[in-house]
Amino acid sequence: MASHSKNNTYLKKSFFYPRALRFAPIIITIIILTTLPLYASSYIVFVAAIALLYAMVAAGYDVLLGYTGQLSFCQGAFYGIGAYLSAILTVNYGWSFWQAMPTSVLFVGLVSAIIGYPALRLRGAYFAVTTFFLAHFVYLIFLNEVSLTGGPLGFRGLRPPEPIGPLSFESMTNGYLLILFSFIIIYALLRKFVNSNVGLILKSIEQDDILAESMGINTAAYKLLSFVISAIVAGYAGTMFAHFFRLLHPTTFSWFLSEMVVIITLVGGVGTLIGPVLGAGIVTFILEFLRFAPEIRYIGWAIALIAILMFEPKGLMGLIKRVGVK
Amino acid sequence: MIDTIVLTQLLNGFILGLIYGLMAIGLTMIWSVTDLPDFSQGGIYIISAYVAYWTIILLNVPYFLAIPIGALAGILLSVAFERIVYNRLRPSGVLSCLLAAIALFFLLENVANALWTPKAKIMSVPETEVSLNLFGIVTSYHRIIIFIISVLLFIFVHLFIKYTKIGMAMRAVAEDREIAALMGVDTSKVYIATWALGGALTSVAAILISPLYAVWPGMGTLPLLKALVVVILGGFGSIIGALIGGLILGLIETFGAIYVSAAYQHGFAFILLLLTLSLRPKGLFGRR
Amino acid sequence: MLKVTGLTKSFGKLVAVNNLSFTVGEGERVAIIGPNGAGKTTTFNLITGHLKPDRGVVEFYGKNITGLKPYKICRAGIGRTFQIVRSFPNFTVFEHVLVGAISRYGPRAQIDLLKNQTENIIQKLGLIAKKDTIVRNLTIVDKKRIELATALALKPKLLLLDELMAGLNPAEIDEYIELLKRINEEDGITLIVVEHVMRAVMKLCNRIIVMHYGKKLAEGAPMEISTNRDVIEAYLGEGVAYA
Repeated sequence: MASHSKNNTYLKKSFFYPRALRFAPIIITIIILTTLPLYASSYIVFVAAIALLYAMVAAGYDVLLGYTGQLSFCQGAFYGIGAYLSAILTVNYGWSFWQAMPTSVLFVGLVSAIIGYPALRLRGAYFAVTTFFLAHFVYLIFLNEVSLTGGPLGFRGLRPPEPIGPLSFESMTNGYLLILFSFIIIYALLRKFVNSNVGLILKSIEQDDILAESMGINTAAYKLLSFVISAIVAGYAGTMFAHFFRLLHPTTFSWFLSEMVVIITLVGGVGTLIGPVLGAGIVTFILEFLRFAPEIRYIGWAIALIAILMFEPKGLMGLIKRVGVK
Repeated sequence: MIDTIVLTQLLNGFILGLIYGLMAIGLTMIWSVTDLPDFSQGGIYIISAYVAYWTIILLNVPYFLAIPIGALAGILLSVAFERIVYNRLRPSGVLSCLLAAIALFFLLENVANALWTPKAKIMSVPETEVSLNLFGIVTSYHRIIIFIISVLLFIFVHLFIKYTKIGMAMRAVAEDREIAALMGVDTSKVYIATWALGGALTSVAAILISPLYAVWPGMGTLPLLKALVVVILGGFGSIIGALIGGLILGLIETFGAIYVSAAYQHGFAFILLLLTLSLRPKGLFGRR
Repeated sequence: MLKVTGLTKSFGKLVAVNNLSFTVGEGERVAIIGPNGAGKTTTFNLITGHLKPDRGVVEFYGKNITGLKPYKICRAGIGRTFQIVRSFPNFTVFEHVLVGAISRYGPRAQIDLLKNQTENIIQKLGLIAKKDTIVRNLTIVDKKRIELATALALKPKLLLLDELMAGLNPAEIDEYIELLKRINEEDGITLIVVEHVMRAVMKLCNRIIVMHYGKKLAEGAPMEISTNRDVIEAYLGEGVAYA
């Protein structure tokens, strides 16, 4: 499933065109996104922020699904744990965001490690089913532990992150920019990770984990590593969501969210890292613009997913490669 | 002195377990014959319940007839999915099929949502709501009906698998697909039969339980998950295991809801799953 | 260096490996032969940790490695290839062998070190022309070579080769024999080979272990084995390839 990168960045390879040109599309996109608040309505900025959060989760998830080959359905759970924990720490215990966020992320990492250690020993479908259940179980906790999470009444009172010096995050614009820049950093780190030697090891596990194991690779440890990484990214995105959206409701974190992450990753092109990011952007915006026809949009997406599986399993990136744009 | 309340709950848990068992049998058959944990059965569950509901409401069909009609819808959908989607995706591997199954589940759930709104519909079958006092246990005709139909279906499936040509072919394919093919088994016919049977079982389970709970678009998720747990608990490919596993889950859930926690009622399945996977991954009667 | 004592493994009622004991010394080239179903591949799997034995001990340089996870046994210095060739189909040949080098030296090793190691091995196995070809597009013969190359990149002290010669023509077989001899003599890698191609076994190995129904039937130098009555009987009616 992972389309391996032909850009062997761990070796020097001659470029046929100046390096700068390669980065042009990226730089242009970054500029467009950074200046978005200047020319777009706050509604669009809002949707873009949500899209970026999804993109973060999807990129992290791609490391697990696309590069290590483990199908999991509990990204929503980690997203939710990050969100609720940060909310509880800041609102109920008066912590600053800058203390609560790293704590939440660490906690998510810990939880994912504890769950992942036994769970990853399960083969394919059994692992998928277990994560499915886990996501639902966590959702039940969000729903029922009203004293902690406010349950179906929602969790309110969240504040934006505390200002750093003169930089306040109260406004939509600044909140958006914070999300944008954390996304860029996280994506860059993931990119580097995936192209590194460790990334190559993950890709080998994805293609044949028994062979990888007999080649001296501790597959259990690496699977756990990618599981935890994808969980941490989701948890971080969750904390950002909590303090940007400022209202938490259990239904946001149902298994449906986990499924959306899977769909986005597939539609975008699993195993390419950038594919899921694009997928997140497109899915979020289209879902938003079809708000007037709520049922149809999900039906549309289910059909799109099936069509993609049947005709272009490589997703968006596969289509792009076929057309020869990249 | 036997506590009649306990007995009543015992009966309820038993009946619930039969429903889980029905669906699990369908799933375990599909999974062991075709290698696919068919998540789309969750969607089949939903649609067949709605079909039954609408035939009762619109066409004034009696409940007993609505069951086979709903089952027919389930069969048609399952077979259609196999022929149109899974068949094409099979060469790409199980993962693609699994994702397609999930997408189909998603699709059916949202179609139901779009067509019939998220508001729950009550499938009311007055004839069967009559209370019954059986040796001091208060129950309803409906539960007796569930019992009878389930038992009949179990027997039918058992005989079918054991004695019919197709049933034996299914068993052969479940054992070893390649060898079965070499022996001249027509795998595509076997797949169709398997999916038809699975779809039928899921549909009947859904329609049997609808009068007790409700018909709404989200009704499929939990039964699907629980049926999967029962499949794993009972043992991959084992029909007896699915039955017994279903009963175990039904009883644990019913008593757990009363004596432990009603809110986390659905979490018992999860705990059962974890226990099974860590203590006896093969399940109770599993062969693999 | 390798000592196997009383190794036993059953699958239900079938006893695949039955109280097997043998030793292999450093520098040897040993063959395990026997009819199909004799338990040869199972023995390999028991040594490399892919299966856990019901009874018995596997010792490597005096250390008990019985039932350890396969990656640990590989790290200890035992490499293997599989009977049905396994590979990472989406990698290029270079990436494929590189993974072996990364596994051996660690992901943080010097890029140049990894690169050199990889290229040396690719060179040695004559794959240099196909360095950037994607493994999925290669023939089975090449895939076997890549599997071997990757195993070599791990710098094993002992190499277990499962039916490497299957499906090769006589010229390719001779090439491999030369290659394996070189690996053994120059790089000091001890070899245990499971083979059906008797000609290769006779030419390559200095000791043969014959297995039959999971037990050791006979053991000795090639000449002895080829004239051993029990061995010949066991092979009567079985397909043995005289290439």
